[in-house]
Amino acid sequence: MLEPVMFTGGLYKHDLVVELVEDLGGYVLQKNVTQSEVILLILVPSEDKPVLEALIKELRGELVRAPLAGTEVAVVTPTLAIHHLPHTACDIAEYLRRHGSKTNMMGLARGVGREIAQINEYETALINEHDAAVFIFGNFRECIRRKESLYRNITVPVVVTGGPEIDKCELPYAFEYVPSIGRVAHRARKATEIGTLDSIIESVGRALDKTRTDITKDPLTTSPPRVMDAVREQVPEVEYSYSPLPIALNLTGVRVKLPYDGYKDAVSAVTFDEGVKLGEIATIKPSRMKDYILVRILPASETGYVF
Amino acid sequence: MDPMEVFKIEVTGEEDFGTKKYRELIMDILQDLGLIRSIGRLYVYLDIMEPVFAVFGLLRTGIPPLTVKDVGDVLKTEGGYQVKINDEEHMSDLLKVLWGHYGRERVEQPARDVVIIASDKDPSGLMVADLEAEFLQDLTDGLVRIAPEGFRNRRNEMSKESFFFIAAEETLAPELIAKTKEKIREMQNA
Repeated sequence: MLEPVMFTGGLYKHDLVVELVEDLGGYVLQKNVTQSEVILLILVPSEDKPVLEALIKELRGELVRAPLAGTEVAVVTPTLAIHHLPHTACDIAEYLRRHGSKTNMMGLARGVGREIAQINEYETALINEHDAAVFIFGNFRECIRRKESLYRNITVPVVVTGGPEIDKCELPYAFEYVPSIGRVAHRARKATEIGTLDSIIESVGRALDKTRTDITKDPLTTSPPRVMDAVREQVPEVEYSYSPLPIALNLTGVRVKLPYDGYKDAVSAVTFDEGVKLGEIATIKPSRMKDYILVRILPASETGYVF
Repeated sequence: MDPMEVFKIEVTGEEDFGTKKYRELIMDILQDLGLIRSIGRLYVYLDIMEPVFAVFGLLRTGIPPLTVKDVGDVLKTEGGYQVKINDEEHMSDLLKVLWGHYGRERVEQPARDVVIIASDKDPSGLMVADLEAEFLQDLTDGLVRIAPEGFRNRRNEMSKESFFFIAAEETLAPELIAKTKEKIREMQNA
């Protein structure tokens, strides 16, 4: 089983870590270089983790578990106005990133108000491209209850956050509800506030675990990191994409950040060692995010094999 | 302890948490904008079922207008006056006022913080900025930030001594405004 971990250390000799991960059959999901520091998000076979730990100890780096690595989470606020940003939304998004997730912040066009809040088809479809969503609501019980219509049609697990204590059975469409983080006008700095952020992470982790369990019942034909590796190798143009993460991983596929019309055939023609083409084992469709390519790997029940 | 003499907040329904948090939120926003010292009493009424949000406040009045002598030292020199600027924040307002009063050809700025005026008329008493008007602008900004965001129909009645701000999702009917004012009056008398 591959274990998600995060390496933080000096830029010097970090290539050794990358090489070792590749030799062990793991994957480097993301690499962030900040001046003389580097942060690597890695998937490493759990039985080989001690080897990696030994090398990282030698390099005086740090290796921590990143339970959300390889997933994409949407942080959704009713709008992008000053009422909802920056404090709560940025704190939650940043905290999710620190635990390895790829986080996208989204503001709805007309998500405000108690009676008038609404979400459109495009926004719903965009949120559904993620692995989980966190909806950030305010301080009033009645408003949180009424805003259920915003996430009723979302198929990915939705973690709802808000101020007051609300019984979970009052919000049947939410995966979980995390209280004590409503609308605030300051950054999270007190121990209780940080504790609430931790419980959001735990809740998102449980939501992703649920999706993972569902996937194991009908496993994917191949794993998303393997698709990512193959696309990176066989469509070299992806390295010239201006996005910080040219191939974003999901639990059920990848998003390739290249124009759909120009590169859909190249992505579809990516061939694995077994001789199978990506187009045969995955649906390749335009993403709702810009004009990117969305690759969704088909389950074994549709293709008839797993490799 | 609240810096205000009176700060009452009333929310209908079982919204104890919301009431407590809204109190903190209002304090945070007013502090961020530097308005808290100028407000004496504040009454906030929020009816979640209507829904309507209203704030009534009494101001600590008496912010004098900013004059030339407040932003710098005025010295009498040969053939005119020299102003040595101490507070650069209002520099552009100062120049605008001096240009308007004396004409551009009589106002010279040889250094960043020095203005020389070729006139016998003392500029000390000229008004550079109306701080009270600026305060009222900031207050309106603060109230818009405080109000829940979906409450897009707003009405703001401001005078030198007090302000009344009301916001709702639906159209603001005169009956709703009257009813809300009545509620605030009850809070004042309680």
